[in-house]
Amino acid sequence: MDDLHEAPAGRNLIERRVRRAWGSAVASLHRTRHLGWVDLLVLAGLAGLLFGAQRVAHEWAGRLQPTVHIDLSPLALPRYTLYSLSRGLLAYGLSLGFTLVYGYWAAKDAIAERVLIPLLDILQSIPILGFMPGLVIALVAAFPSRNVGLELAAVIMMFTGQVWNMTFSYYHSLRAVPEALQEVGSVYRYDWWQRLKWIELPFATIGLVWNSMMSMAGGWFFLMINEAFVLGSRDFRLPGIGSYMSVAVAHGDLRAMAWAVLAMTLMIVGLDQFLWRPAVVWAQRFRAEESASEERATSWFLEWLSHSWVLRLARHAWRRRPKRHAHARSAATAHAEGAAPALAAGTAAVAASPPPPVAARQPERPVPMWARPVSALAFALLLGVLLLGAWRVAHLLRPVSGAHWLGLVGAALTTLARVLASTMLGTLWTLPVGLAIGLSPRLSRVLQPVAQVAASFPAPMMFPVVIAGLHAAGVTLGWGSILLMLLGTQWYILFNVIAGASSIPADLREAARGYRLSLVQRLRTLYAPAVFPYLVTGWVTAAGGAWNASIVSEYVSFHGQVLTAPGVGSSISIAAEHADFPTLAAGVLVMSAIVVLFNRTVWRRCYQIAEERFSLNR
Amino acid sequence: MTVTSAPPASGLLCEARGVSQEFKQPSGQALRVLEDISLGVHPREVVALLGPSGCGKSTLMRILAGLIRPTSGEVRYRDEVLTGLNPGVAIVFQSFALFPWMTVEQNVRNVLVARSLADDEITRRVADVLRAVGLRGFEHTYPRELSGGMKQRVGMARALSVQPELLFMDEPFSQVDALTAEGLRAEVVDLWSTHDRNPSSILMVSHDIKEVAYMADRIVVMGANPGRIRTIVENRLPRPRDYRSPELLQLVDQLHDIITGSEMPDVPEAPAPTVAVPASAQPFEPLPDAGPSEIVGLLEYLDARGGSDELFHIVADTHREFGQVITVVKAAEMLDFVDTPKRSVLLTPNGRRFVAAAGPDRRAIWRAQLLEMRLFRQIAEVLERQEEHKVERDFVLETIAMAMPQENYERVFHTLVVWAHRGDLFDYREEDETLVLGVSATPTAAPGATPPSSA
Repeated sequence: MDDLHEAPAGRNLIERRVRRAWGSAVASLHRTRHLGWVDLLVLAGLAGLLFGAQRVAHEWAGRLQPTVHIDLSPLALPRYTLYSLSRGLLAYGLSLGFTLVYGYWAAKDAIAERVLIPLLDILQSIPILGFMPGLVIALVAAFPSRNVGLELAAVIMMFTGQVWNMTFSYYHSLRAVPEALQEVGSVYRYDWWQRLKWIELPFATIGLVWNSMMSMAGGWFFLMINEAFVLGSRDFRLPGIGSYMSVAVAHGDLRAMAWAVLAMTLMIVGLDQFLWRPAVVWAQRFRAEESASEERATSWFLEWLSHSWVLRLARHAWRRRPKRHAHARSAATAHAEGAAPALAAGTAAVAASPPPPVAARQPERPVPMWARPVSALAFALLLGVLLLGAWRVAHLLRPVSGAHWLGLVGAALTTLARVLASTMLGTLWTLPVGLAIGLSPRLSRVLQPVAQVAASFPAPMMFPVVIAGLHAAGVTLGWGSILLMLLGTQWYILFNVIAGASSIPADLREAARGYRLSLVQRLRTLYAPAVFPYLVTGWVTAAGGAWNASIVSEYVSFHGQVLTAPGVGSSISIAAEHADFPTLAAGVLVMSAIVVLFNRTVWRRCYQIAEERFSLNR
Repeated sequence: MTVTSAPPASGLLCEARGVSQEFKQPSGQALRVLEDISLGVHPREVVALLGPSGCGKSTLMRILAGLIRPTSGEVRYRDEVLTGLNPGVAIVFQSFALFPWMTVEQNVRNVLVARSLADDEITRRVADVLRAVGLRGFEHTYPRELSGGMKQRVGMARALSVQPELLFMDEPFSQVDALTAEGLRAEVVDLWSTHDRNPSSILMVSHDIKEVAYMADRIVVMGANPGRIRTIVENRLPRPRDYRSPELLQLVDQLHDIITGSEMPDVPEAPAPTVAVPASAQPFEPLPDAGPSEIVGLLEYLDARGGSDELFHIVADTHREFGQVITVVKAAEMLDFVDTPKRSVLLTPNGRRFVAAAGPDRRAIWRAQLLEMRLFRQIAEVLERQEEHKVERDFVLETIAMAMPQENYERVFHTLVVWAHRGDLFDYREEDETLVLGVSATPTAAPGATPPSSA
């Protein structure tokens, strides 16, 4: 570290910090002790939340109706938006809970890890319709007269669209905690909970927040299916923006469609401003790198909340809450206490083998004492469920003939071609645009938030417009579906290119400019190689999204008629609609197999090349 | 745990007995990093582990702390065999290892919370320890806003807060600027020297000779490949010590001599083997991990100083760690460019010829010297025999692993490639992971012969 250079800036910062702390202490004495308008708004917001929760609860407890009537008047939209939002947030809560448990389990138990991580990879590749029939039938059967079952099914389907990348991120963070921090945890004898709370969770937070944003966006993608779907003879519908849009499309009601798009946009912008921005700002405190140079994110909402007297009071009360404390142990007993876990480890070792002189277990993956049996039990249970599931699926698949299988594989290859075509098309436009944005701080400041909102918007809601355009141009859905896939997945590539471009070291860019490389030369020698590793990540995510999107883009209803393009996505959609479960299972299986296979071969190879030849960190 | 607790019967707070440590290499082969180490730490002393990088001194410290379980041998704390973490130890880390998401105060407080101390006791101790290391006023600062020296103060506060009997410090000042480090060392000694308080003893890892001469009561000089104790030097200089006192400088000199003596022994010139010894029976010379540019740099340096200099002048002049300088010197000696009688390094006739030569000739001399070494000769011969004059990386790796089981073969391979490249003997192509014969090292080019000027 260049201390001579750093020292003055560092000292300045400290001074500023101290002054700020001191200043706020003084200011809080003078601050007015009465309610301000911010407090009124905060209270109003709280009341609104309560009211909304009550409405949602009412809807959940409501009677299950064969077909819910969807009111196409724009006045009904706020209510529908609330319902959709509550489903999305509930699904997110579920995803977060699942992530924290599953990721922790996979990171801490070396044996379970070997099954859990590949399983996650497979689950990730299963399209949403693969989960739907089982979930809906089981949950509706569980709550035959109330809405709860159907609501739960919708929430869980949304969950399957959100959860996987969050879990991956959390797991990878847990495995990547720096060695030195882990050693601190060992030397100062943090127990598993302190380790989690002070080391692991903080370290994983930034990744988790960013992946949460992506997940939430991904969760909206199938909103229209989640809230309105046909399963055999039954037409399930839940009030929400998705079903509103579905009905509007079915009726060809352009005005209602526009209202739905507006409501969706407002909801996404609102979520971004009131939830994700503050979350990102809050997560900045967990930055692991110690430089203070990076540009800090800000949130007007957080700033604004900090003026609230009510919230300050609540925070104060929370800080002052009586902490439950185990009997305080004196410094002297701490000595004996230190020896206790060591002794425990020793006895465990003795039980396993004739007395080894040294501890059998290195404190490598510290876990609570009860964790081992619990983990083993859960693992056995999981294996049992997997085996049972495999057996059931095998049973289900018996009527599927060889020719049928072959047909599905052929269809899957057609879809694969579409997926790759859409990924390539996406790269074609996002590469130059992403480079332009990423290389210019000004552009990225303005455009990145816009792109983020655009990316969160569920593309299927735009399909009717695009299909109308394609119809007018005389393009068949076989080709058109490529465009529909692109609509949803191009953003992943764009974001990654932007991230890659903005991470190109300044000295390399200056060198390229200094040696007067032409634009083409710069692209070939610097930008393309530097962005490549990011591009690969973008491709993998985009292709995954495109596979999922094939379900809705190879099979679309438009103006009351259904358009299909041959492919495994439409095969699955048709099978689901006709409740043809063997074909549905076979289609899902074929799709998952091809996705996993493609990931393991082509994409992994790309990752390797990126790592070996184009990494800027080596 | 206070210092007043009864002294252990053996008189040792902490002890390693016959400790060896092996790590698995990617191929599955074991790499021995520590061999048969026995070392004890008495109450009220400062012990320093001194040695070049790669001698396993940090590993030894982690074994004594109970962070790593040794492959064989045992560790004792107060006469009891250690079965887990050492309960009397706190560590100050080279990289500080502070939690960036916690303030200075929280970084210290949390280790006390982990010990389930009472709230008011924690508050009192945090305040005490922050004052003791001079961090008052910085309680609510985040580590990223602090300089390296201040960060290490936080690391020290955190370690001292648990009142450890043994304070372990892993190269604590190597990432702190020199001036700050000097002050911090004095402060550490001050904190330690109040005998009614913990820490009772300090174990520190260092590669800085002056640092250990200033701080330690006993200096454990370690050697590498595999790591072992060369000798232990008692340092009875009275405290407070002065970096420039003649006694301290004399000790530094003595340590220099020990290190040069053990790292570069003056072996009597072996008579050239007149009887042909079967080649496979001869051991390979291990390659020091030094790049050609460093070696050439050393030769130029010596040339500029009339052809010879003292080793530790070079260390002081180049601001390099002595371990690294010794590695470079060893490499140059292996190429027969320098000779190292006692503590001085001087250019051999070969070395003089090299320095005087122009680019292409240097290349040829370098190549000739490489071919004096068996490993290079053997690979060059294989390359010549091969039809397309290339061999795969894995083959060479295997050769190295067989011939030098003690070495990290990936590193040796890297050194091999860069040395060979400098002499244009052979080249490594990363795309297909093969070694190919160099451009000018055509099969006919005899060793030593000047090739037609290669561009």
